[in-house]
Amino acid sequence: MSYQAIGDKLRAGETVILDGAIGTEILRRNVTWADHQLASQPEFVRGIHEDYIRAGADVISTNSFQLCRRALFSHFRDEAHRRQIGAADLDHRADKLLAASVRLAIDARQRAATGRPVAVAAAITTLEWCFRPDLAPSPEQARSEYREIFQVVKDAGADLVLLETLNSISEARAALEVAKSLGLACWTSFVCDERGRLFTGETMPEMVAALEPLGVDAILLNCAPPGDINAGMKELLPHAHVATGAYAHIGRFDPPEWMFTDEYPPTRYLQVATTWKRMGARILGGCCGTTPDHIAALSSLRA
Amino acid sequence: MGTELVRRGVRWRKHGLLTDAERVQQLHAEYLAAGADVIRTNTFQLNPRIYLNVFRNRQHMRHIGAPGLEDLTPKLLRTSVRVARQARADAGREKRAAIAGVLAPLEHCFRPDLAPKFEQACPEQLELARVFAEEKVDLLLGESMNTIAEACAVAEAARTVGLPLWISFVIGPEGELLSREPLARAVAEVEKLGAQAVLVNCAPPSDIERALAKLKAVTRLPFGGFAHIGRFSPPSWKFEFFPQFGDTDSWPPERYAGEAARWRKKGATILGGCCGTTPAHIAALAQALELKREGVQTA
Repeated sequence: MSYQAIGDKLRAGETVILDGAIGTEILRRNVTWADHQLASQPEFVRGIHEDYIRAGADVISTNSFQLCRRALFSHFRDEAHRRQIGAADLDHRADKLLAASVRLAIDARQRAATGRPVAVAAAITTLEWCFRPDLAPSPEQARSEYREIFQVVKDAGADLVLLETLNSISEARAALEVAKSLGLACWTSFVCDERGRLFTGETMPEMVAALEPLGVDAILLNCAPPGDINAGMKELLPHAHVATGAYAHIGRFDPPEWMFTDEYPPTRYLQVATTWKRMGARILGGCCGTTPDHIAALSSLRA
Repeated sequence: MGTELVRRGVRWRKHGLLTDAERVQQLHAEYLAAGADVIRTNTFQLNPRIYLNVFRNRQHMRHIGAPGLEDLTPKLLRTSVRVARQARADAGREKRAAIAGVLAPLEHCFRPDLAPKFEQACPEQLELARVFAEEKVDLLLGESMNTIAEACAVAEAARTVGLPLWISFVIGPEGELLSREPLARAVAEVEKLGAQAVLVNCAPPSDIERALAKLKAVTRLPFGGFAHIGRFSPPSWKFEFFPQFGDTDSWPPERYAGEAARWRKKGATILGGCCGTTPAHIAALAQALELKREGVQTA
């Protein structure tokens, strides 16, 4: 499997269904998310991927949000401190878990995808906290860290990279350049605010103008409430030439976990996504708080 | 507290104080039964910043965050004292065991580079200290303090609310504060501000032992230490300090108690356990120190 089939669908103007939440779905099933559960309960994570495939997802995303060396290392003062008190496997833990996250999704596809092409997207977010563009590393630093991450997911067999919950043009550009230099298909997805702007205050036309020349394969918006995503899509759609998409979160962020609400049951979420499709979006899925039932509802939009 | 709750399978959300308060209380009870003279509230790194930091700003927190996040911290602090108090009452130890309200660095305890300046830290630490004072803890313990400035902010807060204060510093690989500021200067500063005991914690036993020798040389206050055992295994996500230590098997209770008994011989009178230790470690510690029990406090 490669990205080809999904790319063809998008070029033909067809709708592609993305999966729903992984992290919050792990929590909803009463398991802690603190370690991504890739090493301790791989079959549990794989089961969620399988549920999303059966619900109708054309693209499933790996359980790897924020999974990178930087996330682990940032819990220590510096290298000397990490060597002094840190677990022995920290140098390689992120890479191992990242590769495992891709392999699990591929396994799930083998078990659950029947007759329909399903692509595995390596889900990678900002190197620092997704809602805090003020913390982002320099573009040079970002490029070097993304290169390592993308090489791992490419070697593990990911069909594309889904850069999600991005918060600035500069980090998105750095990551996209690296993905393209490695020959990876790459979707970039941004969090937006109620004015339909990036968290840096940058605008959708500025972002589109920066990323389209670099060969981005699709531009999406995610991890904001449906109303904010609407505002963002209104800003984005008139300017984008590549395929666009959206996946909103539903419920409330209750750090370090998620608060589930019944504000957007699958039928209502389908209505929202239908609006995005009418506006021109072709990739539709769910972010935090969504479940396989939400994706099953969305799959009716594929027709 | 934290590592032991996580080891027991408590989901680390809101310090377990909303969803698993009875298990937090149970752990206090076990530490009391093991022989602790001082029990610490389960409030390490519990402050409003840990919630605010994961949003773009306060407005974003109100927009997408769960209701009540802004007022959550004092509520959790109050619960933390109440479960400790209940455990103490159930054990019949009201008169003979003290409850220490735990204050900690406002930012990640292992990231002194992120620590707020003194002027910023003062009002925020004071807000926490006031809640502990209202809940009538017996003392405040500034734990894993990683900069002198923030330790002083905690000391100022304790003075303002009129509670006795112990300050404990996290020790870096160089044997000084994690910020690399000299331990001797840190001790002098908090002593000036009225600290009644100085301690060192959250470093491996050998580092604690070296730091205790330094404390002995620079202070006449009661001093002590509590080491962590095993290796810090951070979560594969960002958020705040997550109390997960692995490979603790190489430090069974008797081995840890043996180390601590040596620290006692060298003059340390406040001894306990940091991350990775369990009620069994404190029981072994209490037993090892039994012969010279007078004046020794276990936490």
